[in-house]
Amino acid sequence: MKLGRVIGRVTLSKTIPAFTGGRWLIVSPFTRGHYQQGRQPPSGLSKDPSPVVFDNLGGGMGDTIGYVEGREASMPFDQPTPVDAINAAIMDEVFYSPLP
Amino acid sequence: MYLARVEGTAIATKKHPSLNGWRLLICQPLDAEGKAFGAPQVAIDPHGAGLHQMVIISSDGAATRQAVRDPKSPARWMVTAIVDKAGRATAAPKKSAS
Repeated sequence: MKLGRVIGRVTLSKTIPAFTGGRWLIVSPFTRGHYQQGRQPPSGLSKDPSPVVFDNLGGGMGDTIGYVEGREASMPFDQPTPVDAINAAIMDEVFYSPLP
Repeated sequence: MYLARVEGTAIATKKHPSLNGWRLLICQPLDAEGKAFGAPQVAIDPHGAGLHQMVIISSDGAATRQAVRDPKSPARWMVTAIVDKAGRATAAPKKSAS
């Protein structure tokens, strides 16, 4: 699960049935040099590309979320769904102290 | 599975129910020389690894789903072991005196 800051949302008009009722968040992913410490996410955008993440936890703009990528992202769905990034947690606080 | 170093923890109250009660450790994957590579991954930790401790993290979602006992959990990364010593064999293996 990677962490990232929600920087936008996507609204789909025509989708496959499995996506109905889904919310989509655009996330700026944290990297080693651009990571949250404490309660506030770092300002500015990350240099990594921003994925669109499926969300049913209610992540809002500016929230820090933990999103899972890969096949595991489609596990919570009842029928097979082509989702490869899902919001698994909304972070309250992050304690991060990397060794140099 | 990656060799990784624990570099932090994350606290989340609103999350997928299968993650309730699990420690979320921020683990930085390390390469063979012990240098960081890639983005830090948040893994669930059943072993109580400490800060800056070396661990092994696994991306096998099937094993993680069994650990959290929820076949529909999106959890993927998990700390599977705490490393005592990690070193690369540099010298050629000594010939046994046979």
